[in-house]
Amino acid sequence: MSELLVIIQIAGRRCALSAHDVKSVIEIGAITPVPRAPDFITGIAALRSQTLTVIDCRRALGLATGEAPTDDRAVVVASGGHAYALMVDAIEDITTATGAPGQVPGGFGPEWSRAARGMIETITGPALLVDLAALIAGPDAARGEIEVAA
Amino acid sequence: MDDLLAEFIAETREMLEASGGEIVAWEADPADRARLDTIFRFVHTVKGNCGFFDFPRLAALSHAAEDALADCRAGRREPDPALVSAVLAIIDRIAAMVDAVEAGEEFPEGGDEALIAALDDVAEAGADCAEVAEAPLHAPASALLERGEDAASPATRRTDAATAQRTIRLPVELLDRVMSGVSDMVLARNDLAHRLRQAGNQPTIDGPFERLTAILSDVRDAITRMRMQRIETLFGALPRLVRDLSAELGKQVMVDLDGGDVELDREMIETIRDPLTHLIRNAIDHGIEAPSTRLAAGKREIGLISIAARQSGNTIAIVIRDDGRGLDEDRIAAKALATGLVTPADRVAMSRDKLVNLIFEPGFSTAETVSNVSGRGVGLDVVRQNLEKVGGSIKVASVPGEGTQFTLQIPLTLSIIAGLTVEIAGQRFAIPQGYVEEIVQATPAALELTRMGEAALITFRGNRIPCLMLAEVLGLETREARRELTLVLLRLASGDLFALVVERIHSHGDLVVKPLAPAVMKSGLYAGSTLLDDGQPVLLLDITNIAALHNLVSDGRTRVVRPLDEEAAGPAQAAPRAMLFTDFAGRRMAVRLELVQRIETASASAIDRSAARPRLVIDGQILPLVGLPDTPPATDKLRLLRLGDGLCEVLQAVRAVEDAVELTEALVPVPEDPLIEAMTLVAGQPVALIDAHELFARHGEPPLAAPGARPRCALPDNEWARTILAPLVASAGYDIVAGDSADPQVVTILSEDLYEAAKLLGRVPAGPVIRLRDHPGDSARSETIYRYDRESLLAALAAVRTARLAGGQRS
Repeated sequence: MSELLVIIQIAGRRCALSAHDVKSVIEIGAITPVPRAPDFITGIAALRSQTLTVIDCRRALGLATGEAPTDDRAVVVASGGHAYALMVDAIEDITTATGAPGQVPGGFGPEWSRAARGMIETITGPALLVDLAALIAGPDAARGEIEVAA
Repeated sequence: MDDLLAEFIAETREMLEASGGEIVAWEADPADRARLDTIFRFVHTVKGNCGFFDFPRLAALSHAAEDALADCRAGRREPDPALVSAVLAIIDRIAAMVDAVEAGEEFPEGGDEALIAALDDVAEAGADCAEVAEAPLHAPASALLERGEDAASPATRRTDAATAQRTIRLPVELLDRVMSGVSDMVLARNDLAHRLRQAGNQPTIDGPFERLTAILSDVRDAITRMRMQRIETLFGALPRLVRDLSAELGKQVMVDLDGGDVELDREMIETIRDPLTHLIRNAIDHGIEAPSTRLAAGKREIGLISIAARQSGNTIAIVIRDDGRGLDEDRIAAKALATGLVTPADRVAMSRDKLVNLIFEPGFSTAETVSNVSGRGVGLDVVRQNLEKVGGSIKVASVPGEGTQFTLQIPLTLSIIAGLTVEIAGQRFAIPQGYVEEIVQATPAALELTRMGEAALITFRGNRIPCLMLAEVLGLETREARRELTLVLLRLASGDLFALVVERIHSHGDLVVKPLAPAVMKSGLYAGSTLLDDGQPVLLLDITNIAALHNLVSDGRTRVVRPLDEEAAGPAQAAPRAMLFTDFAGRRMAVRLELVQRIETASASAIDRSAARPRLVIDGQILPLVGLPDTPPATDKLRLLRLGDGLCEVLQAVRAVEDAVELTEALVPVPEDPLIEAMTLVAGQPVALIDAHELFARHGEPPLAAPGARPRCALPDNEWARTILAPLVASAGYDIVAGDSADPQVVTILSEDLYEAAKLLGRVPAGPVIRLRDHPGDSARSETIYRYDRESLLAALAAVRTARLAGGQRS
């Protein structure tokens, strides 16, 4: 298993995205806010003739935004036929996975569990492998599921 | 007409190719239901398409095959190899006929009856009748060959036809890629332009850059046209269809088309062609009552079918509405109960709305008599299926005695629409132009803006119109209250009108609409996003949904029920309104607002100065242009007011558009300048009001492309006229109409001997007549034109037309 991963930081934690999902890393320009959209959607931005939906990853996980600044670069990913730009703390590196994703005893905590596919070992150390679709769905999607389950 | 014919041929041939495999498979296993359905659909479609054209033989053949196949589908008849052969023979014959139509030749007479009879024969006689079917199967081919020997060989004929058409089919995905590449190029050009401006004038670079710009805009136009087609191409065939069907069924039906300039994917147009035709057939056959019944019910004798297309970002809504008898709730219920779709308990609990939507369920048809028109079997369930296949939907609403309304929603993955950019709270949003009825600027007092609870109302031209504050809709903070309100009046596809208060209007332009992520769509306020020229993304408002969220959509029958009231309410009692602008001489001018169709922006390089009077091409129409300065303007972009008197359109070039104002002060006539109707004061400043009568008298010419405004021409009723003469006449700008000798507006083309006959009978057409002769000689008899003398024929048509125009202006 030597899947390529892009290592990013969200809310101070090391996370990994499958490089397969990542289209590019861009310097994000002007963001047009979207009134009445969920708050984890920062707005829309243009990448050449394409429209990107800009996602604030901390809010998308349901975490407080905190004071820490975000990277002025964003990760462009594709999911469900749409392109998104992920605003993260930092974009670290591209690395190779050394194993399959696994779980950690005790779990990742409620916010993280929803958007985590598990822990993955890499050459540069362990990281949390992000479930892109769940991340993009935002925190409300999880709440809906819980209501259904209850 | 020519385009339609080419499309019919292409479509039929494509289906033939696609169903080729099915036909063979069906031959191997006649009991295969799925194959049977496919072939049934093919002949059904051919039959339907023949409704557009005058192909009685094709119609008869396909109808006969459809009959036989319908019997099989209904289980009244067992499909056996003999039947298969007979059906295949008919399909072969259809293919041969289509080839002949394309080559513009007449198909050899006869043989059809034998083919049709073969269908019935096998029903009685059984297997040994395969021979009966066998013989005619080969007859057409040999007949074709015989003909081919004295003219050209069939093979060469095919090649000729192929070169004439020169079309290819491409995967849409490839077009998408090219298109987004071109979009990127345009953005790169804009960026470069910006940098060049910053660097100052550089003659060595500016020249090639201008050329690049021109080429790029050409390419973009071409690419756009590749994919997009105005829905007009679909609408164009409908009046004829409605006319023919209503004549056939002894009803009087008027058709009202709206929104023909909505553009959508060629592919999508093809997808909705059949459903639309089907719904119209249904409306005429089952919806609209016979004239006497209508009169008895207190309705106008003539039924009305109105078809309106509106675009809202990612979807197009097509509303097909008739003012007929409405759907019969009880009959639908009875049928639904009989077929087990609903239980009696369900029925009691069901609302009328839910119940009528059952007509889209498979196997549902309430028609008691099967007619040539509405067909059978291929019902509304197929219509719904086809729409759902492309992600669309259909629903129906109906009021007994008042009419039925079908609403089709069709998605667009990518589209270009004309849009208006507005600003609120410092942010820009786009509104599809199709909804925009009017832009109004006035003080709250003048509009009598009143708050009724949470709702707001304005009074405009004597009507109370609901009003939404865009800032409130979007939950944005606006700055201090403005002295004047800027309102966009929006009309929904259902006919409802409402006003949207914005802060500023920015620009009109073509917008490339891109889909939005689901999380953003969920808010229900946006239909897509688009990029402005500077590369900034803006959101496209979903007007229909915003109106629905605020309960501003009635169920949409207001327009059909009260079309006359609406027209009567049109002329306002209030002061005349005018559009204020500065012309290139620096004068402040005004033109009556009713004349202003639109504000356009065009590139100065697009002006054609080859004729004495400059012209400009806008939306595929060549329009005269007035008000240009003598020296070319410094800027490349030219602002234009598009003025129209209902028939003619004229473009007025302006330096700057200022505002729409009310002319409250006295109008002082200016006799010394015929182009000025009057002088008046606007906000204390003198303004010259353009004399529209003089303007249109001098410069107006009806746009060539505008349907309805085109002159009409009746042709002789024979194959030569239809296939050879009609395209020539159409290319000269005429609409071909059925012979109507009483209408003096219709030009009639007649052959010499027919004209003589008509003269003897005293039935010479009232309008101008062009007479044709069959032989090139005796040109001295100048009253007739040799039928292949193209120049003279075109000259005669042009002469009639000029005379007509001159007459039209005098009146």
